[in-house]
Amino acid sequence: MLSLKEREDLAYVQILGLSAPVDGLLRWECRTPVDLVVEKPAQELPLLYKYSPLLSDRAVRVSVPLAPGFGKVVKLAIALDFAVKLEGTQPAPSLADELLGVASDYLYRPSVSVPVEFVHSLFLAFYRQEPVSLWSVQEEDPRQVRYITDAGEETIGKRFLNLAPSSDLDEFLPAYRAELIAEGRECRECAFVDSCSGYFKWPARDYRCDTIKTLFQMLVEAASELRNDLAACPPTQTGAT
Amino acid sequence: MKPPFSLILLPTLRCNADCEYCFETRTEDRLSLNRLAIVLQKVIDHMQERQLDTLSIYWQGGEVMTQSPEWFERAHELVQEMATARETRIVHYLQTNLIGYGPKWNPVIAEMFDNSLGTSMDFPNLYRRVKGGTPQQYQELWERKVLAARDAGIKIGVIAIPNAGTVAAGAEAFYSYFVERLGIMDFQVNTPFPGGSSNAVKGTYPLSTDGDGCSQFLLDLADIWEKRGRNAGVRIGPFDKLLAYFEQGTKDVLCIWRENCANEFVCIDPRGHVAQCDCWVSSYPEYRFGNLLDPVSLADLLRTSDAHREFASRPGRLMQTEECLDCNYLAICHGGCPVRAYSVHGSLLRKDPYCDLYRKIFARMEEMSAARCRVKAGSGQC
Repeated sequence: MLSLKEREDLAYVQILGLSAPVDGLLRWECRTPVDLVVEKPAQELPLLYKYSPLLSDRAVRVSVPLAPGFGKVVKLAIALDFAVKLEGTQPAPSLADELLGVASDYLYRPSVSVPVEFVHSLFLAFYRQEPVSLWSVQEEDPRQVRYITDAGEETIGKRFLNLAPSSDLDEFLPAYRAELIAEGRECRECAFVDSCSGYFKWPARDYRCDTIKTLFQMLVEAASELRNDLAACPPTQTGAT
Repeated sequence: MKPPFSLILLPTLRCNADCEYCFETRTEDRLSLNRLAIVLQKVIDHMQERQLDTLSIYWQGGEVMTQSPEWFERAHELVQEMATARETRIVHYLQTNLIGYGPKWNPVIAEMFDNSLGTSMDFPNLYRRVKGGTPQQYQELWERKVLAARDAGIKIGVIAIPNAGTVAAGAEAFYSYFVERLGIMDFQVNTPFPGGSSNAVKGTYPLSTDGDGCSQFLLDLADIWEKRGRNAGVRIGPFDKLLAYFEQGTKDVLCIWRENCANEFVCIDPRGHVAQCDCWVSSYPEYRFGNLLDPVSLADLLRTSDAHREFASRPGRLMQTEECLDCNYLAICHGGCPVRAYSVHGSLLRKDPYCDLYRKIFARMEEMSAARCRVKAGSGQC
């Protein structure tokens, strides 16, 4: 049992898979945010509904892998007002339309009022013309966050569970990026390497980033469009003196 | 903040009217104060287990005014005592046909219901009637009661059910009757469904939503309200709440469009039967969750009820079987009303039969919101 102080220090609690009963969570006095980790998008889709009452007293995020059916989970999660995190896997080419569709919904559908990470943070950074690290957005920068395995070992995230990097975790990101460049991977010529740093090159370094680059370009263009629209809008009259 | 828990409480299944499209099965049952205490105790137990601190009680019937105002006064005292003892906030709402209304009701309406009530009337009135009377007689009686209640300072909201005559008469005549003739500033239009035992009137439901049907009537009504009523303080459900959603993102929509009604309310009748809402509890015994007068808690009753499980899982299952996930308005509909689906299709696992009509209304309200936004932007208020 965690003490009150320990509970206050919790960033969030992960629920792995959605099939467990939700009654206990509904009675949980602690307002700690919850991260609902979807493991099988197609099967777990309808179970999202039973978690929606949690939103009345805590933040709830749905984390979903880029696996077949993830777009439907994202759409329903958005409709239920859950924040969304797209888990960092390497999406198959067959999922390109689904991924770009999710980004398009986030950017252009007026009813979307929740963040869809990593799309959200990238878009904001591009809009503000600020640097951004996809590893950090995805809570996989080991200088900021560590993942503890069931065996008690520290690693970077779930996708590193059986593929632990050989280098020191603090050094992993700069070293990995340097290796990708040195190996002549497409990162070397990529316009988005400063934001991405090879995030989608793990675990398969020869993964083709065509869809990812299209997505990044879409976000850059939308951010530019928004900046221009706002610049063209006449200043509001707030009445403030 | 957690939302209130809502209880649709039917203190009686008696009714002094004989409306042809009623979906309830009437009986002579009345709720005793002893049973009211048992029911409330268990509802509050359930709320406290889920850390909910506000209970909204929607008093409906049957017809509530076939109970006496004295009964309501005693019921109110009892409820207030329990609310104080259990540190629970309880808010009351009244839905009545007003036929039994008279000045003797004024104190309890003021004290218990914050001097406001909801009632029902259609235009034209084809199906509401007192026993042995005509729709015309009913309408005249109802209008007199409305005027008397308003003279007593009571705020009145009206629910109207469109029928074929409504569609034929058109939105202008409908709006004029309620707003300009009767001075009703707050009303809601609900879609009819063939709940309960079948008859010739219910055989015409659901109303056609094609062409010049019910959809066009509602779209025309929305336009009239936007031009003449909205800025004058007239509220028409569902238009007002939908505009608030499209303009401000608030999701205070009708129960038929909430994400899962099984999470938000239950209905209890005078015999202690618990079900999802009034049509289910009175007309579909196979879908009752159980009886709260039995030695069982409300939490256990809900947890172990197959019927409740079926309701709770309905929206999620619709996402797999219907095309709701492809709809732009999923966030404010979730497949619609279970009783409309069941009464038309015989299955909970079908979407609401008025899906097409709802989508047209949603789209019109979205357009209306966007048009207002463009006007604001043009005047430098963006």
